[in-house]
Amino acid sequence: MAERGKLITVMGDEDTVTRFLLGGIGELNKNCHPNFLVMEKDTTIHEIEDTFWQFLNQDDIGIILINQYIAEMVRQALDAHQHTIPTVLETPSKEHPYDATKDSILRRARGMFTAEDLH
Amino acid sequence: MAALDLRAELDSLLLQLLGDLEELEGKRAVLNARVEEGWLSLAKARYAMGTKSVGPLQYASHMEPQVCLQASEAQEGLQKFKVVRSGVHAPEEVGPREAALRRRKGPTKTPEPQSSEAPRDPLNWFGILVPHSLRQAQASFRDGLQLAADIASLQNRIDWGRSQLRGLQEKLKQLELGAA
Repeated sequence: MAERGKLITVMGDEDTVTRFLLGGIGELNKNCHPNFLVMEKDTTIHEIEDTFWQFLNQDDIGIILINQYIAEMVRQALDAHQHTIPTVLETPSKEHPYDATKDSILRRARGMFTAEDLH
Repeated sequence: MAALDLRAELDSLLLQLLGDLEELEGKRAVLNARVEEGWLSLAKARYAMGTKSVGPLQYASHMEPQVCLQASEAQEGLQKFKVVRSGVHAPEEVGPREAALRRRKGPTKTPEPQSSEAPRDPLNWFGILVPHSLRQAQASFRDGLQLAADIASLQNRIDWGRSQLRGLQEKLKQLELGAA
């Protein structure tokens, strides 16, 4: 490939990461960090935040797929992220179905109108 | 008149935003359905192969992405994504290529597999003969990736529309204050 496109990264539980890696988005070699994070029982919030910030600051990432329950742990960082790239996409997990009321993008869209805007 | 034009522009932008939000909701529902299909297929594959046979322990130590994103800028500040698939590692062809007699003596020249060029199919991490349910899971998740790119593009459009809307509302306020 003359110019490689942007990567898709994934942060989620074992099932979520396995399924997206099966789809062919995984990158892992001696020089690079993996473009995925598997959430395990002993994964700390600090590690999740560090990985999230790392993905946000990488130039070669286009989309960050993140389980919504993990997105809740880094909600502040997510809400502060205003750039178009990388785009953060919240996905459901087996134990936590998708809740549109928690999605950052939809919450911003709901907050488009204030009382004075409607006059 | 300027205020009227602005209001018309605002209305049209608002209608577009509402349409985008509706489309986003529809695509989300489809993505969730694909994901659920994939989970079911993954569960069937685990049942066939063993619980620990489909998981992080089987991930390759070296991975190259088969799927990448092409980002294009449709308008200023508006990014659109498209999923691009690179070539999959083709199966090695065994046997003579031409309809001719094979030489039984001496080594036959078979082409070297181009392993450095095409990324390896992640399905191979889990074995050579994987159950059909795992292939189905892979197909579901591949469809899911294209949907994810579409949803990401829509989210960007909604964000962009939102900022445009705010800008127009500010302009309108300024105009109305100036007229008053």
